[in-house]
Order: sequence, then C-alpha cells, then structure tokens
Amino acid sequence: MMAWHDVAREGEFEPDVPKVIQVGDDRIAVFRLEDGYYAISDICTHEYALLSDGFCEGGKVECPLHQACFDIRTGKALDEPAEVDLATYPTRVEGGVVQFQL
Amino acid sequence: MRTLIIGAGQAGRRTAELLRGLDAEREILLLGEETEPPYDRPPLSKEILLGEERPRGLMQRDAKAYADQRIALRLGERVARVDLKSSRVETEAGLHIPYDSLVIATGARARSLLVPGANDPRILTLRSMADARALRAQLRPGLRLAVAGAGLIGLEVAAAAIQCDCMVTVIEMGERAMARCVPKEVSDQIEGWHRAAGVALEFGCRLAVVNPEKDALRLATSRGEFEADLLLVAVGAVPNSELAYEAGLAVDDGILVDASGRSSHPTVFAAGEVARIRQSCGRHVRFETWQVAQHQPSAVASALCGIDKPYSELPWHWTDQYKHNVQILGAHDAGLEWLCREDGGRLAYLGVDSEGRVRGAILIDNGRETTPVKRIIASGTAMSRGVLRDPATPLRQLC
Ligand SMILES: Cc1cc2nc3c(=O)[nH]c(=O)nc-3n(C[C@H](O)[C@H](O)[C@H](O)COP(=O)(O)OP(=O)(O)OC[C@H]3O[C@@H](n4cnc5c(N)ncnc54)[C@H](O)[C@@H]3O)c2cc1C
Ligand code: FES
Repeated sequence: MMAWHDVAREGEFEPDVPKVIQVGDDRIAVFRLEDGYYAISDICTHEYALLSDGFCEGGKVECPLHQACFDIRTGKALDEPAEVDLATYPTRVEGGVVQFQL
Repeated sequence: MRTLIIGAGQAGRRTAELLRGLDAEREILLLGEETEPPYDRPPLSKEILLGEERPRGLMQRDAKAYADQRIALRLGERVARVDLKSSRVETEAGLHIPYDSLVIATGARARSLLVPGANDPRILTLRSMADARALRAQLRPGLRLAVAGAGLIGLEVAAAAIQCDCMVTVIEMGERAMARCVPKEVSDQIEGWHRAAGVALEFGCRLAVVNPEKDALRLATSRGEFEADLLLVAVGAVPNSELAYEAGLAVDDGILVDASGRSSHPTVFAAGEVARIRQSCGRHVRFETWQVAQHQPSAVASALCGIDKPYSELPWHWTDQYKHNVQILGAHDAGLEWLCREDGGRLAYLGVDSEGRVRGAILIDNGRETTPVKRIIASGTAMSRGVLRDPATPLRQLC
C-alpha cells in the first residue's frame, strides 16, 4: 500500500542538506532544490553508503565512499562506479509539511 | 581501422568503451590473458574475502554487453610480442594480429618475495580474481595468517581475515602502516583499528627466510621467528611493461607516456597502471589506483580519435578497512605540515606547505569533504592554519 510520509516542515530544510526518513527497510533522503522537493533512495547503488553523508551541489549528490554522482531530480547514476539509477519518490507539500509517497 | 587493446582489465575495458562512444565505426579488439571478463579490482581484498560472490563493485559485464557495444573481447589470450615495424602483435598461441593503433593496458602484477623458501604453495599473492578466490578458500577460524607488507592491500587482507576469525600477524619492514601514502598521524589511527580488532602488527621486521615445514611455515625475521599456516605477500606491484620494453618503447618503471597516453611510438598508447604519465612539471609518475584506470583511458580514447584531452586529475585513492573509509588526495611528501580537523568521528588531515597552501589531504569517514578539498588544493591559495583547522568553518566555504 502506497502512503504519504511526513518529512519536515518547509522552513526546516536547508539547501543541499537532505532530511532522511526510514520507512521499513527503505531509507529515503529528501532534498530541497530551487525548483522543489525531491526524494531519492539514500543508499548508493555501487556498494553500501549513505548518500545523505555525501557532498551535494547543483542538483547532484556525490557518494561519500567512492564518489559516484547521482542526479537528485531523476535518480540517474551520472558517473561510474555506480551504474544503477536510484529509486525516486513523488513529493508534495501539505499544510506546510513536506511529504513523499512510498 | 582497427584499435587493438592488450589487457582486458579496468583500463582496457574503459578504453574500449570510451573509444566506442567516440567512434561508432572503428574495429575494437580487446585481448586479455585472464579468462574472466574485465572487472575492477578493489573488491578482491574486501568483499570477496568476506565471502561475497559477485560484489557490485566489480563492475563486471557479461560477454553480451561487449557484443552489444561491438567490442570484440578475446579472453584467455596472452600477447607474447609486439612488432612495431609490421604493426602486429603475436599471441602466445601463435596468432598474428595486425593493428592500426595499439593500446597497452597490461596493468601490474604483485611483487614476489625474493627470499629463500618463497616458492611454497602456502605463500600467496593477491592481484586477480583467481588469487582472491584461492585466498578466500583458505580463510577459516583459527588459521594463522601472516601478511608481509603493511600497505593498502596487506592491511585490507588483514582486516578481512581477522573478521573471518583468523589469527593475523602483519610483518612490515618499515616503521608504520601505509607509510608510502599517509603521514604518521594517520598511520597511528589505522594501526589502532587493527590492534583493536586483534591483529598483531610487527614493524621494523624484515622477513629473511621462509622455512616451509610440514605443519607450518616458519618465518625467520629480523625480530625472531613466527609460525604461520599461510603467508600472504603484499609488498607492492611491478608494472607489466616487458612487452613494451622488448618492442623498443621507452620504459622506466612503466611505459613512459605523455598526458594523452602516447608512448615513444606514435601509434602506440598506454593506459592505466602500466603507464608512467608525464606531469606538467615534467616528471613522469605511475599511479596504482582505480582512478587512473578509470579516467586516464578517456585521454587515450580521445587521442586515438584526434582529440586532445590530456589527463591531469589530482591523484586520489581510497582504502576501506573495517567500517572505515580513508581517502587520500594529492601530495604527501615529507615537507608538509599536517593539520587535523575533527568533526565528530569525521576527520580531515590537511597537508599544508610552507606558504600555507593545502597540497594534500587524508579524509577518514569524511567523503563529503572530498570535492571541497580537491577544489581547495586545485586553487593553490594560501590559507590561515587557524581557519583550516576550525571545524566551525565548513571546507566548502573555503573553496
Ligand atoms: C587487491 C586490490 C585491491 C585494490 N583496491 C583499491 C582501492 O581500494 N582503491 C583504489 O584506488 N585502487 C585499488 N586497487 C588498484 C586498482 O585496482 C588498480 O590500479 C587497477 O586495477 C589498475 O587497472 P589496469 O586496468 O591498469 O590493470 P589491471 O586491472 O591489472 O588489468 C590488466 C590486465 O591485463 C592483463 N595482461 C597483462 N599482460 C598481458 C598480456 N601480455 N597479454 C594479455 N593480457 C595481459 C592482465 O591479466 C589483467 O587482466 C586495488 C588493486 C588490487 C590488486
Ligand atoms: S558506495 Fe557509492 S560510489 Fe561506492
């Protein structure tokens, strides 16, 4: 069953610093970019690393372990050593609260 | 037009794939001695030893992926000779293959131990998937494993083996861990992880003779005798540059190439760890890193298509030991002063020269600072030591 999950109030987001929510076994990182909120899987598709520990700039996040780069808006793996794209999740803002669907 | 690539490892694969991306027409032939399709080596001393069969980090594609890219992959073929005059290579099986341009991407091999007794089957090295599987098959609780060499590979093996409940002793001639690429402060940290896990580290210890006896290998060292069931030798790598040397190319601890990967012969290039690459200061340097095998082939593929795209990345490599990730950036020569900036468990050691410029860095569990630190090093600007040390000022604000 898909459901909407609360992340945080809009005012609590800082640019380039994601908020992380755990839902069951999934860890989701939610970013505020200039054009809205984006939710991606927080786990690198190369080996095991948390992308929320990585460097983020210009709509891209870089894995802290081996520097694979992902597009936050599309989840696309932009550079080896990752080749598999990240899962992405729809987001919305309800009454000032950012949510994603999973 | 045919480009022949010798060596189906990481750099060989990258050269082939990048070349196909730039040129849809050319015939690309990738010849390799190993029977496995190309793979990246970092997992060999990590996940594979911990029992993972096919870690994703191998980046291994199947034969179909090569066929789809119209890269002719021929495995299990060792090249015996290169004839520059007739532009042909000869394989060990006796095949003569002509080329229009040649890329030598033969990598390196593990340096073997030159001491009496070193040919016993209980003495192993680690370079290939076959080596990693053979070592993995031996790791069992209680096994007495001696590791010769406290460099990156020796220590990664020690970490994996102790996690498999082996009894591990590391024997190192020098005074500290990973002395070739990190300052003393960082060696201290790394040694701390190993000792806490139960690894015995013996520094200043020179292995003189191996006495292979039935029940054990007896290792005679400058610091007494050790007994082991298995000895893993991790004392460095030797470039596979004999083919190039015998063909008459300029070779000196690796094939000498310019920043585009061009050797001393106009139609021959070298890619990856076998290449010793000319730097802007005029010196040639050979890198034993994933980075050079990944990105220098881009310069080679471009040059093969007449595009000038010299390789000039800041040197970077990493090691993963236990739960720790260590990233090593830029220079680590003796003259640098190392400043430590600590932020929770995340550490950044910054190597500053006498003018106050950051020249190198070691990041421990702190990969998010890699890009900012690369930029700070590239900028070459002098900075105050106080600011560099202060974790309250994010490094990304300094670049
Ligand atoms: C165990 C291990 C762990 C590592 N871990 C890390 C790490 O954590 N981080 C990091 O940055 N780097 C690491 N490295 C270094 C990195 O993997 C290497 O630098 C990289 O593999 C070099 O790639 P290459 O393509 O140049 O050489 P290779 O990958 O060695 O490929 C060369 C290929 O050429 C073949 N060949 C040689 N001679 C011939 C011939 N005459 N005919 C046909 N084929 C031939 C070889 O069999 C081999 O398959 C590690 C290396 C090893 C061995
Ligand atoms: S785990 Fe992310 S790049 Fe390797």
